[in-house]
Amino acid sequence: MPHNPPMTAPSPDAELMALIDRIGHRDEAALRQLYDRTSPRLMGLAMRVVRQREWAEDVLQESFLTVWRVAADYRASLSPPMAWLGLIVRSRSLDLLRRRTADRAQLTQEFDELMADTFESDTPNPADMADAGEQAWALHQCLSQLEGRQREVVSLAYLRELSHSELAEQLKLPLGTVKTWIRRGLDKLRTCMGRFA
Amino acid sequence: MNLLAHPELLELLAASHALGTLRGGARRRFETLAREQAPVRAAALVWQGRLASMTELQQPVTPDPAVWTRIRNLIDAEQAQQALARQRDAAMPLTAPSTTTTGGWLRSLALWRGAAAAGAFVAVLAVGVGLNLREQLINAPAVQYVAVLSDDKAAASMLVTFDPKKKQLVLQRVGNFREGTDKSLQLWALPPGGAPRSLGVLDNAPALRLAASESDVRVPALAISLEPKGGVPSAGGPTGPVLFHGPLIEKTL
Repeated sequence: MPHNPPMTAPSPDAELMALIDRIGHRDEAALRQLYDRTSPRLMGLAMRVVRQREWAEDVLQESFLTVWRVAADYRASLSPPMAWLGLIVRSRSLDLLRRRTADRAQLTQEFDELMADTFESDTPNPADMADAGEQAWALHQCLSQLEGRQREVVSLAYLRELSHSELAEQLKLPLGTVKTWIRRGLDKLRTCMGRFA
Repeated sequence: MNLLAHPELLELLAASHALGTLRGGARRRFETLAREQAPVRAAALVWQGRLASMTELQQPVTPDPAVWTRIRNLIDAEQAQQALARQRDAAMPLTAPSTTTTGGWLRSLALWRGAAAAGAFVAVLAVGVGLNLREQLINAPAVQYVAVLSDDKAAASMLVTFDPKKKQLVLQRVGNFREGTDKSLQLWALPPGGAPRSLGVLDNAPALRLAASESDVRVPALAISLEPKGGVPSAGGPTGPVLFHGPLIEKTL
Protein backbone atom coordinates (compact mmCIF):
# COMPACT_ATOMS: atom_id res chain seq x y z
CA MET A 1 0.00 0.00 0.00
CA PRO A 2 1.48 3.39 -0.94
CA HIS A 3 2.08 5.51 2.12
CA ASN A 4 3.49 8.59 0.51
CA PRO A 5 1.47 11.51 -0.81
CA PRO A 6 1.82 12.10 -4.53
CA MET A 7 4.89 14.16 -5.32
CA THR A 8 4.29 17.52 -6.92
CA ALA A 9 6.42 20.62 -6.87
CA PRO A 10 5.83 23.11 -5.39
CA SER A 11 3.63 21.50 -2.80
CA PRO A 12 -0.10 22.14 -3.22
CA ASP A 13 -0.25 23.23 0.41
CA ALA A 14 2.33 25.95 -0.17
CA GLU A 15 0.44 27.23 -3.21
CA LEU A 16 -2.87 27.29 -1.37
CA MET A 17 -1.30 29.05 1.60
CA ALA A 18 0.18 31.67 -0.69
CA LEU A 19 -3.26 32.27 -2.19
CA ILE A 20 -4.87 32.58 1.25
CA ASP A 21 -2.20 35.10 2.25
CA ARG A 22 -2.96 37.18 -0.83
CA ILE A 23 -6.68 37.02 -0.08
CA GLY A 24 -5.83 38.34 3.37
CA HIS A 25 -4.45 41.37 1.53
CA ARG A 26 -7.74 41.85 -0.34
CA ASP A 27 -6.58 40.27 -3.60
CA GLU A 28 -9.75 39.31 -5.47
CA ALA A 29 -7.82 37.50 -8.21
CA ALA A 30 -6.33 35.22 -5.57
CA LEU A 31 -9.81 34.42 -4.27
CA ARG A 32 -10.82 33.48 -7.79
CA GLN A 33 -7.80 31.19 -8.11
CA LEU A 34 -8.51 29.57 -4.77
CA TYR A 35 -12.12 29.10 -5.85
CA ASP A 36 -11.08 27.49 -9.11
CA ARG A 37 -8.68 25.20 -7.30
CA THR A 38 -10.84 24.13 -4.39
CA SER A 39 -14.52 24.71 -5.14
CA PRO A 40 -15.30 21.28 -6.65
CA ARG A 41 -13.89 19.50 -3.60
CA LEU A 42 -15.53 21.89 -1.14
CA MET A 43 -18.79 21.68 -3.07
CA GLY A 44 -18.53 17.90 -2.80
CA LEU A 45 -18.12 18.25 0.96
CA ALA A 46 -21.10 20.60 1.26
CA MET A 47 -23.21 18.25 -0.88
CA ARG A 48 -22.30 15.39 1.38
CA VAL A 49 -23.39 17.25 4.50
CA VAL A 50 -26.50 19.08 3.28
CA ARG A 51 -27.33 16.74 0.39
CA GLN A 52 -29.16 19.26 -1.80
CA ARG A 53 -27.38 21.00 -4.62
CA GLU A 54 -29.08 24.35 -4.07
CA TRP A 55 -28.25 24.31 -0.35
CA ALA A 56 -24.70 23.20 -1.03
CA GLU A 57 -24.24 26.12 -3.39
CA ASP A 58 -25.52 28.50 -0.72
CA VAL A 59 -23.02 26.95 1.69
CA LEU A 60 -20.21 27.34 -0.84
CA GLN A 61 -21.10 31.00 -1.34
CA GLU A 62 -21.19 31.72 2.39
CA SER A 63 -17.95 29.82 2.90
CA PHE A 64 -16.00 31.82 0.34
CA LEU A 65 -17.34 35.07 1.78
CA THR A 66 -16.09 33.84 5.15
CA VAL A 67 -12.71 33.03 3.60
CA TRP A 68 -12.59 36.55 2.14
CA ARG A 69 -13.26 38.06 5.56
CA VAL A 70 -11.04 35.88 7.75
CA ALA A 71 -8.16 34.96 5.40
CA ALA A 72 -5.88 37.38 7.21
CA ASP A 73 -6.25 35.23 10.35
CA TYR A 74 -5.41 31.98 8.59
CA ARG A 75 -1.77 31.80 9.68
CA ALA A 76 -2.83 31.74 13.32
CA SER A 77 -4.90 28.60 12.79
CA LEU A 78 -1.96 26.18 12.28
CA SER A 79 -4.16 24.02 10.02
CA PRO A 80 -3.18 22.75 6.58
CA PRO A 81 -5.04 24.91 4.05
CA MET A 82 -7.51 22.32 2.78
CA ALA A 83 -8.36 21.27 6.32
CA TRP A 84 -8.97 24.92 7.24
CA LEU A 85 -11.22 25.43 4.23
CA GLY A 86 -12.98 22.15 4.98
CA LEU A 87 -13.70 23.22 8.55
CA ILE A 88 -15.27 26.44 7.30
CA VAL A 89 -17.45 24.59 4.80
CA ARG A 90 -18.46 21.93 7.32
CA SER A 91 -19.42 24.47 9.91
CA ARG A 92 -21.42 26.55 7.38
CA SER A 93 -23.11 23.34 6.21
CA LEU A 94 -24.10 22.39 9.74
CA ASP A 95 -25.39 25.94 10.32
CA LEU A 96 -27.55 25.62 7.25
CA LEU A 97 -28.89 22.21 8.30
CA ARG A 98 -29.76 23.56 11.73
CA ARG A 99 -31.59 26.52 10.17
CA ARG A 100 -33.46 24.33 7.72
CA THR A 101 -34.49 21.72 10.26
CA ALA A 102 -35.73 24.46 12.57
CA ASP A 103 -37.57 26.12 9.66
CA ARG A 104 -39.25 22.99 8.53
CA ALA A 105 -39.92 20.78 11.50
CA GLN A 106 -42.99 19.50 9.68
CA LEU A 107 -40.80 18.22 6.87
CA THR A 108 -38.64 16.09 9.12
CA GLN A 109 -39.87 12.91 7.56
CA GLU A 110 -38.92 14.07 4.09
CA PHE A 111 -35.62 15.35 5.41
CA ASP A 112 -34.76 12.00 6.97
CA GLU A 113 -35.53 10.23 3.74
CA LEU A 114 -33.32 12.65 1.89
CA MET A 115 -30.50 11.88 4.28
CA ALA A 116 -31.11 8.17 4.26
CA ASP A 117 -30.48 7.86 0.55
CA THR A 118 -26.88 8.87 1.08
CA PHE A 119 -26.07 5.63 2.78
CA GLU A 120 -24.10 4.09 -0.02
CA SER A 121 -20.52 3.18 -0.50
CA ASP A 122 -18.81 6.37 -1.48
CA THR A 123 -15.13 5.68 -1.73
CA PRO A 124 -13.10 8.67 -2.79
CA ASN A 125 -10.94 8.06 -5.80
CA PRO A 126 -7.22 8.40 -4.98
CA ALA A 127 -6.65 9.91 -8.42
CA ASP A 128 -8.70 12.92 -7.31
CA MET A 129 -6.50 13.62 -4.34
CA ALA A 130 -3.89 15.84 -5.95
CA ASP A 131 -4.60 18.70 -3.52
CA ALA A 132 -5.09 16.60 -0.42
CA GLY A 133 -2.56 17.13 2.34
CA GLU A 134 -0.47 14.36 3.91
CA GLN A 135 -2.86 14.02 6.81
CA ALA A 136 -5.75 13.52 4.39
CA TRP A 137 -3.77 10.97 2.45
CA ALA A 138 -3.15 8.97 5.61
CA LEU A 139 -6.79 9.13 6.64
CA HIS A 140 -7.83 8.10 3.17
CA GLN A 141 -5.55 5.07 3.29
CA CYS A 142 -6.84 4.04 6.69
CA LEU A 143 -10.51 4.63 5.90
CA SER A 144 -10.18 2.50 2.80
CA GLN A 145 -9.29 -0.44 5.06
CA LEU A 146 -12.72 -0.25 6.66
CA GLU A 147 -15.63 -2.14 5.27
CA GLY A 148 -17.84 0.17 3.12
CA ARG A 149 -20.73 0.61 5.53
CA GLN A 150 -18.46 1.08 8.55
CA ARG A 151 -16.63 3.77 6.64
CA GLU A 152 -19.93 5.45 5.81
CA VAL A 153 -21.11 5.51 9.39
CA VAL A 154 -17.82 6.93 10.63
CA SER A 155 -17.73 9.56 7.86
CA LEU A 156 -21.31 10.68 8.37
CA ALA A 157 -20.91 10.85 12.15
CA TYR A 158 -18.12 13.34 11.64
CA LEU A 159 -19.37 15.30 8.64
CA ARG A 160 -22.92 15.74 9.92
CA GLU A 161 -22.04 15.87 13.63
CA LEU A 162 -24.46 13.03 14.41
CA SER A 163 -24.78 11.05 17.63
CA HIS A 164 -25.12 7.28 17.69
CA SER A 165 -28.89 7.49 17.95
CA GLU A 166 -29.21 10.15 15.24
CA LEU A 167 -27.13 7.95 12.94
CA ALA A 168 -29.27 4.93 13.73
CA GLU A 169 -32.39 6.94 12.99
CA GLN A 170 -31.15 8.46 9.75
CA LEU A 171 -29.57 5.29 8.42
CA LYS A 172 -32.40 3.02 9.60
CA LEU A 173 -29.99 0.79 11.49
CA PRO A 174 -30.22 -0.69 14.98
CA LEU A 175 -28.51 1.50 17.58
CA GLY A 176 -26.29 -1.40 18.70
CA THR A 177 -25.05 -1.90 15.16
CA VAL A 178 -24.12 1.74 14.81
CA LYS A 179 -22.25 1.72 18.11
CA THR A 180 -20.36 -1.45 17.18
CA TRP A 181 -19.40 -0.21 13.72
CA ILE A 182 -18.17 3.09 15.05
CA ARG A 183 -16.16 1.46 17.77
CA ARG A 184 -14.59 -1.06 15.40
CA GLY A 185 -14.04 1.60 12.79
CA LEU A 186 -12.24 3.88 15.22
CA ASP A 187 -10.21 0.98 16.52
CA LYS A 188 -8.96 0.14 13.03
CA LEU A 189 -8.28 3.81 12.34
CA ARG A 190 -6.29 4.02 15.57
CA THR A 191 -4.01 1.13 14.59
CA CYS A 192 -3.65 2.36 11.02
CA MET A 193 -3.16 6.06 11.76
CA GLY A 194 -0.54 5.18 14.34
CA ARG A 195 1.66 3.95 11.51
CA PHE A 196 1.53 7.35 9.83
CA ALA A 197 2.37 9.41 12.91
CA MET B 1 -9.50 5.10 36.08
CA ASN B 2 -6.10 6.37 35.14
CA LEU B 3 -6.38 6.86 31.39
CA LEU B 4 -2.64 7.22 30.96
CA ALA B 5 -2.21 3.61 32.06
CA HIS B 6 -4.53 2.52 29.25
CA PRO B 7 -3.17 4.06 26.07
CA GLU B 8 -5.58 2.21 23.78
CA LEU B 9 -8.61 3.42 25.72
CA LEU B 10 -7.20 6.94 25.76
CA GLU B 11 -6.83 6.83 21.98
CA LEU B 12 -10.32 5.48 21.50
CA LEU B 13 -11.84 8.16 23.73
CA ALA B 14 -9.84 10.87 21.97
CA ALA B 15 -10.99 9.53 18.60
CA SER B 16 -14.65 9.40 19.70
CA HIS B 17 -14.32 12.90 21.08
CA ALA B 18 -12.96 14.20 17.78
CA LEU B 19 -15.55 12.25 15.81
CA GLY B 20 -18.28 13.82 17.93
CA THR B 21 -19.87 10.59 19.07
CA LEU B 22 -18.59 10.91 22.63
CA ARG B 23 -21.48 12.73 24.26
CA GLY B 24 -22.98 13.83 27.55
CA GLY B 25 -21.23 13.01 30.83
CA ALA B 26 -18.54 10.90 29.17
CA ARG B 27 -17.60 13.85 26.97
CA ARG B 28 -17.47 16.25 29.91
CA ARG B 29 -15.32 13.86 31.97
CA PHE B 30 -12.92 13.41 29.06
CA GLU B 31 -12.66 17.16 28.54
CA THR B 32 -11.96 17.70 32.24
CA LEU B 33 -9.16 15.13 32.08
CA ALA B 34 -7.79 16.80 28.94
CA ARG B 35 -7.58 20.13 30.75
CA GLU B 36 -5.77 18.52 33.68
CA GLN B 37 -3.39 16.14 31.87
CA ALA B 38 -1.24 17.17 28.93
CA PRO B 39 -1.01 13.69 27.35
CA VAL B 40 -4.82 13.47 27.26
CA ARG B 41 -4.99 16.93 25.75
CA ALA B 42 -2.38 15.96 23.17
CA ALA B 43 -4.29 12.83 22.17
CA ALA B 44 -7.48 14.89 21.76
CA LEU B 45 -5.72 17.43 19.53
CA VAL B 46 -4.01 14.76 17.43
CA TRP B 47 -7.34 13.11 16.70
CA GLN B 48 -9.02 16.43 15.91
CA GLY B 49 -6.34 17.00 13.30
CA ARG B 50 -6.60 13.50 11.88
CA LEU B 51 -10.35 13.53 11.46
CA ALA B 52 -10.44 17.10 10.17
CA SER B 53 -9.03 15.67 6.94
CA MET B 54 -12.35 13.89 6.44
CA THR B 55 -13.54 17.10 4.80
CA GLU B 56 -10.95 16.61 2.05
CA LEU B 57 -12.02 13.13 1.07
CA GLN B 58 -15.38 13.78 -0.54
CA GLN B 59 -16.16 13.33 -4.21
CA PRO B 60 -15.69 16.62 -6.06
CA VAL B 61 -18.83 18.22 -7.48
CA THR B 62 -18.60 21.14 -9.89
CA PRO B 63 -20.71 24.05 -8.65
CA ASP B 64 -22.89 26.09 -10.99
CA PRO B 65 -20.94 29.04 -12.49
CA ALA B 66 -23.54 31.40 -10.97
CA VAL B 67 -22.12 30.66 -7.52
CA TRP B 68 -18.88 32.44 -8.30
CA THR B 69 -20.82 35.36 -9.82
CA ARG B 70 -22.80 35.68 -6.60
CA ILE B 71 -19.65 35.57 -4.48
CA ARG B 72 -17.95 38.20 -6.62
CA ASN B 73 -21.02 40.45 -6.57
CA LEU B 74 -21.32 40.27 -2.81
CA ILE B 75 -17.64 41.03 -2.38
CA ASP B 76 -17.83 43.92 -4.83
CA ALA B 77 -20.80 45.26 -2.91
CA GLU B 78 -18.91 45.00 0.35
CA GLN B 79 -15.91 46.77 -1.18
CA ALA B 80 -18.15 49.47 -2.67
CA GLN B 81 -19.75 50.12 0.70
CA GLN B 82 -16.36 50.48 2.31
CA ALA B 83 -15.19 52.74 -0.52
CA LEU B 84 -18.34 54.80 -0.09
CA ALA B 85 -17.69 55.21 3.60
CA ARG B 86 -14.18 56.43 2.80
CA GLN B 87 -15.53 58.72 0.07
CA ARG B 88 -18.04 60.23 2.44
CA ASP B 89 -15.29 61.14 4.84
CA ALA B 90 -13.08 62.45 2.06
CA ALA B 91 -15.86 64.37 0.30
CA MET B 92 -17.18 66.12 3.37
CA PRO B 93 -15.29 69.41 2.95
CA LEU B 94 -15.92 69.47 -0.80
CA THR B 95 -19.67 69.41 -0.89
CA ALA B 96 -20.32 73.15 -1.14
CA PRO B 97 -21.63 73.91 -4.64
CA SER B 98 -19.79 76.44 -6.68
CA THR B 99 -21.15 78.89 -9.21
CA THR B 100 -18.00 78.93 -11.30
CA THR B 101 -18.42 76.28 -13.93
CA THR B 102 -15.16 74.36 -14.28
CA GLY B 103 -14.12 74.76 -10.65
CA GLY B 104 -17.51 73.53 -9.53
CA TRP B 105 -17.26 70.51 -11.76
CA LEU B 106 -13.83 69.54 -10.56
CA ARG B 107 -14.75 70.02 -6.97
CA SER B 108 -17.77 67.83 -7.44
CA LEU B 109 -15.66 64.91 -8.59
CA ALA B 110 -15.46 63.42 -5.14
CA LEU B 111 -19.24 63.56 -4.95
CA TRP B 112 -19.54 61.87 -8.30
CA ARG B 113 -17.29 59.13 -7.23
CA GLY B 114 -19.19 58.73 -4.00
CA ALA B 115 -22.46 58.52 -5.88
CA ALA B 116 -21.01 55.99 -8.28
CA ALA B 117 -19.76 53.86 -5.41
CA ALA B 118 -23.16 53.97 -3.72
CA GLY B 119 -24.69 53.03 -7.01
CA ALA B 120 -22.33 50.15 -7.59
CA PHE B 121 -23.90 48.51 -4.60
CA VAL B 122 -27.34 48.91 -6.11
CA ALA B 123 -26.16 47.65 -9.48
CA VAL B 124 -24.73 44.58 -7.83
CA LEU B 125 -28.04 43.88 -6.17
CA ALA B 126 -29.72 44.31 -9.52
CA VAL B 127 -27.39 41.75 -11.06
CA GLY B 128 -28.16 39.40 -8.20
CA VAL B 129 -31.86 39.80 -8.90
CA GLY B 130 -31.25 39.26 -12.59
CA LEU B 131 -29.56 35.94 -11.95
CA ASN B 132 -32.60 34.57 -10.27
CA LEU B 133 -34.30 34.44 -13.60
CA ARG B 134 -36.60 31.54 -12.97
CA GLU B 135 -38.09 33.17 -9.92
CA GLN B 136 -38.52 36.40 -11.84
CA LEU B 137 -40.39 34.63 -14.60
CA ILE B 138 -42.69 32.94 -12.13
CA ASN B 139 -43.51 36.11 -10.27
CA ALA B 140 -43.29 38.36 -13.35
CA PRO B 141 -42.80 41.58 -11.39
CA ALA B 142 -43.08 44.99 -13.00
CA VAL B 143 -39.64 46.42 -12.48
CA GLN B 144 -39.06 50.13 -12.34
CA TYR B 145 -35.95 52.09 -11.78
CA VAL B 146 -36.21 54.99 -9.38
CA ALA B 147 -33.74 57.64 -8.36
CA VAL B 148 -34.14 60.53 -6.00
CA LEU B 149 -31.58 63.12 -6.95
CA SER B 150 -30.57 65.37 -4.13
CA ASP B 151 -28.47 68.46 -3.76
CA ASP B 152 -25.46 68.67 -1.52
CA LYS B 153 -27.68 69.29 1.50
CA ALA B 154 -29.42 65.98 0.81
CA ALA B 155 -32.64 67.83 -0.05
CA ALA B 156 -34.56 65.91 -2.69
CA SER B 157 -34.77 67.97 -5.87
CA MET B 158 -35.65 65.62 -8.66
CA LEU B 159 -37.52 62.34 -8.79
CA VAL B 160 -36.55 60.10 -11.69
CA THR B 161 -38.45 56.99 -12.67
CA PHE B 162 -37.87 54.69 -15.60
CA ASP B 163 -40.61 52.62 -17.16
CA PRO B 164 -38.98 49.76 -19.11
CA LYS B 165 -42.19 48.97 -20.98
CA LYS B 166 -42.56 52.48 -22.39
CA LYS B 167 -38.78 52.96 -22.49
CA GLN B 168 -39.28 56.29 -20.88
CA LEU B 169 -37.52 58.29 -18.20
CA VAL B 170 -39.84 60.57 -16.29
CA LEU B 171 -38.33 63.40 -14.33
CA GLN B 172 -40.27 65.41 -11.82
CA ARG B 173 -38.96 68.47 -10.07
CA VAL B 174 -39.68 68.24 -6.38
CA GLY B 175 -37.46 71.02 -5.09
CA ASN B 176 -37.74 74.69 -5.93
CA PHE B 177 -34.53 75.03 -7.87
CA ARG B 178 -34.97 77.01 -11.09
CA GLU B 179 -32.10 77.46 -13.47
CA GLY B 180 -31.53 80.83 -15.17
CA THR B 181 -32.95 81.40 -18.65
CA ASP B 182 -29.49 81.10 -20.18
CA LYS B 183 -28.90 77.69 -18.55
CA SER B 184 -30.16 74.14 -18.97
CA LEU B 185 -30.13 71.15 -16.67
CA GLN B 186 -28.60 68.02 -18.18
CA LEU B 187 -29.15 64.44 -16.95
CA TRP B 188 -26.20 62.05 -16.88
CA ALA B 189 -25.81 58.34 -16.33
CA LEU B 190 -22.78 57.44 -14.23
CA PRO B 191 -21.54 54.02 -15.34
CA PRO B 192 -19.18 52.32 -12.88
CA GLY B 193 -15.62 53.18 -13.83
CA GLY B 194 -16.72 54.92 -17.04
CA ALA B 195 -17.25 58.48 -18.20
CA PRO B 196 -20.62 60.13 -17.54
CA ARG B 197 -23.06 59.65 -20.41
CA SER B 198 -25.72 62.24 -21.27
CA LEU B 199 -29.31 61.01 -21.07
CA GLY B 200 -30.80 64.27 -22.24
CA VAL B 201 -31.37 67.95 -21.56
CA LEU B 202 -34.24 69.13 -19.38
CA ASP B 203 -36.53 71.99 -20.29
CA ASN B 204 -38.28 74.15 -17.77
CA ALA B 205 -41.43 72.05 -17.46
CA PRO B 206 -42.25 70.57 -14.04
CA ALA B 207 -42.38 67.03 -15.51
CA LEU B 208 -40.32 65.84 -18.38
CA ARG B 209 -40.16 62.62 -20.35
CA LEU B 210 -37.00 61.39 -22.05
CA ALA B 211 -36.78 58.36 -24.31
CA ALA B 212 -34.23 55.89 -22.97
CA SER B 213 -33.52 52.21 -23.27
CA GLU B 214 -33.11 49.94 -20.27
CA SER B 215 -29.41 49.57 -21.00
CA ASP B 216 -29.08 53.36 -20.76
CA VAL B 217 -30.38 53.34 -17.22
CA ARG B 218 -28.71 50.16 -15.98
CA VAL B 219 -26.19 52.33 -14.19
CA PRO B 220 -25.44 52.76 -10.53
CA ALA B 221 -26.24 56.45 -10.32
CA LEU B 222 -27.58 59.51 -12.07
CA ALA B 223 -26.60 63.12 -11.79
CA ILE B 224 -27.72 66.51 -13.10
CA SER B 225 -25.35 69.24 -14.05
CA LEU B 226 -25.97 72.90 -14.84
CA GLU B 227 -24.95 73.59 -18.43
CA PRO B 228 -25.19 76.36 -21.01
CA LYS B 229 -28.64 76.65 -22.63
CA GLY B 230 -29.34 73.55 -24.73
CA GLY B 231 -26.81 71.34 -22.96
CA VAL B 232 -23.39 70.06 -24.00
CA PRO B 233 -22.37 67.07 -26.14
CA SER B 234 -22.29 63.77 -24.27
CA ALA B 235 -18.76 62.91 -25.35
CA GLY B 236 -17.18 65.81 -23.49
CA GLY B 237 -18.94 65.08 -20.23
CA PRO B 238 -20.47 67.71 -17.98
CA THR B 239 -18.88 71.16 -18.04
CA GLY B 240 -20.91 72.76 -15.28
CA PRO B 241 -21.35 72.03 -11.58
CA VAL B 242 -23.19 68.93 -10.47
CA LEU B 243 -26.34 70.13 -8.75
CA PHE B 244 -28.09 66.90 -7.98
CA HIS B 245 -27.12 63.27 -7.88
CA GLY B 246 -28.32 60.01 -6.46
CA PRO B 247 -28.20 56.24 -6.83
CA LEU B 248 -30.58 54.47 -9.16
CA ILE B 249 -32.62 51.82 -7.42
CA GLU B 250 -34.32 48.91 -9.06
CA LYS B 251 -37.77 48.72 -7.59
CA THR B 252 -40.22 45.87 -7.91
CA LEU B 253 -43.78 47.13 -7.88
